Amino acid sequence: MKKLSPTAYLFPIVMVAAVLTGCSAGAGDATGATEPLLVLEWTGYQMTEFPQFFQPFTDKYGDNLDQVIEYSFFGDDAEALTKMQTGFEADLVHPCNSWWQLYVNAGLLQPIDTSRLEYWDGIPDELKQLGQFNGEQYIVPWDWGYDSLLVRADLVPEMPDSWADLWDPQYARHIAIWDSAEQGYVITALALGLDPWNTTPEEDEMIKQKLLDLKPNVLTYWLDFTEVYNLSSSGDAWIVANAWQDAYGYLLDEGYDVEYLDPAEGRLSWVCGYGINANSTNLDLAYEFLNAAIAPESMAALGNEYLYGFSNFDAIPLVDENVAKLLNFTDLDTFFANTVFYQPLTEEKRQAMSDIWTEVKAAQ
Amino acid sequence: MSAEADVVRRPSGPDSEPTPRKRVRLNEQLRTTGQVGVMIAPTTLWLFFLLVLPLIMMTLLSFRSGSFTAEDSAFTLSNYQRFLQDASFQRLMLRSLWVALLVALYSVVLAYPLAYYLAFRAKRRQNLLLTLLIIPAWTSFLLRVLAWRIILGSDGMLNSLLLLLGLTQETLPILLYSPTAVIVTLVYIWIPFAALPIYVNLQRIDLGLLEGAADLGATPIQAFMRITLPLSMPGIIAALLFVFIPTVGEYVTPALVGGPSGQLIGNIIWDQFARALNWPMGSVLSLMMLVLVLLPLLLTSRLVRLSGLLEG
Repeated sequence: MKKLSPTAYLFPIVMVAAVLTGCSAGAGDATGATEPLLVLEWTGYQMTEFPQFFQPFTDKYGDNLDQVIEYSFFGDDAEALTKMQTGFEADLVHPCNSWWQLYVNAGLLQPIDTSRLEYWDGIPDELKQLGQFNGEQYIVPWDWGYDSLLVRADLVPEMPDSWADLWDPQYARHIAIWDSAEQGYVITALALGLDPWNTTPEEDEMIKQKLLDLKPNVLTYWLDFTEVYNLSSSGDAWIVANAWQDAYGYLLDEGYDVEYLDPAEGRLSWVCGYGINANSTNLDLAYEFLNAAIAPESMAALGNEYLYGFSNFDAIPLVDENVAKLLNFTDLDTFFANTVFYQPLTEEKRQAMSDIWTEVKAAQ
Repeated sequence: MSAEADVVRRPSGPDSEPTPRKRVRLNEQLRTTGQVGVMIAPTTLWLFFLLVLPLIMMTLLSFRSGSFTAEDSAFTLSNYQRFLQDASFQRLMLRSLWVALLVALYSVVLAYPLAYYLAFRAKRRQNLLLTLLIIPAWTSFLLRVLAWRIILGSDGMLNSLLLLLGLTQETLPILLYSPTAVIVTLVYIWIPFAALPIYVNLQRIDLGLLEGAADLGATPIQAFMRITLPLSMPGIIAALLFVFIPTVGEYVTPALVGGPSGQLIGNIIWDQFARALNWPMGSVLSLMMLVLVLLPLLLTSRLVRLSGLLEG
């Protein structure tokens, strides 16, 4: 769901090597807190480099961070899930909400004792509920961000105002969409007026046809954040679909004439969060980590520096005014009314989306 | 293997020695075989663990119904069925073969004059020019692909140049993000790789043959068509294969400049493994691709003895 690092390309190779060696790295024994906490994390969040995102934790352990925390990194959600599925025993993992249910169903996570989280009450119920399965809280939502239309206002003949406008022939060959099965599927379902997470096979067929119809308008598929930035700044793409608010913020800072839309069907939003490995025994440190992550000062740093949304709304008064405005934090009622959060997927749903996307990409 | 066989066969020439000498050579031969065995052991292990074993694993994977759990390991042919029934996979495979073939042909056609110049005309500048030819290969592959975005983009160098020269009034429709962009980029990248085998091959041509042809009244074109070109055939075939094989499985270039209709089978294989997490389907596609690539390889190796290129 986030920046796809070049290491993602190495992934198949690494997997072969991992399978060959039986991959049991980092399997902690039961010695508890003396073991460092192993976190399976996106690049760009390691507290050794970004202590400000986990302030109480980094303040406490200061110079000894290396002894209490270890990282393993992933480039996208599929990679992280594969790693956990094939036996990698990280204590904490940081997946995004479409993938949460897959972790829970595969028995990879343990329920979270929210009474151990001092700042838990700052997280609104709407976000908490996304991380609840079978009546238990499995995920602590942490960061979130929008997927919307990033438009070069100076280049488009006419401003679009909905996801459905992507199909308008006046944008032929000037739209970049995310090379992602889930996102392609969801925006198409929204454009058709369907509920993306509750479709019939006939509706899936409609979505596939509609996606095929979009091809003449598509300039290219984008894969990572830098591509969004380059496609928009070069003017090659007038509209970048599913771009994040941070790209908009940076382009605005550079002086480009860009707009970040509130499509009629709503902005989409991804939410990522931390889960604790079912086999982890390093729980004291894990809860300390989680508590530090959702501490208001940590969350405000994440908002101010990455322009990302954050789950603890008690931090809203601490962020810059512009950041709050960018994230629509200034009016929380419309925030929840106009935001379509991605929903957890089942394995069948995920495969169905992937199959549709494969056919669309393979088409002429 | 064939090189060893040659050494054993060679004594049958006019200056072959009587039997005792031959036995000594055979002993030497055996000793060197042992040494060679030690020398190629790391390579053999490497190939076994990183090529043969993964291939076996992939074949096993292709019959599974899913990637991870125990119930996924049930034997099934459904992945192969899906491959045979789904026209999009076949279309993609044909597109990859077609693009790879075009890239191989263009690269060789463009590389041949280069190799020819290097081998016959460059003379003292040969080493310098050879180095210049190879230098671009020192830059990252990714960087060279991305460079074409700067050249072909809508505010790119090509468009700016055309505007500057007054050849167009407004920016051309974007040249990037199409199968053509993939072909252009890959041809650029492969030209040095295609030129080298041809160059090595041309260098080995006995200039006496060409002089002889001239003495007997052949025009340069006749001499080229009947001596140089046929003799450089192994180099040409090798160059075609060197370019064709890696191009069939390419996925970085199409992902970066291919656009909606320029994706190749490599992109879908990567998708299946890394993102759809459908390893069985990815394995089926990889194996089918392997078969498709091996066929022309086997055919050409019947036509041309590739090892002939590597011998002195």
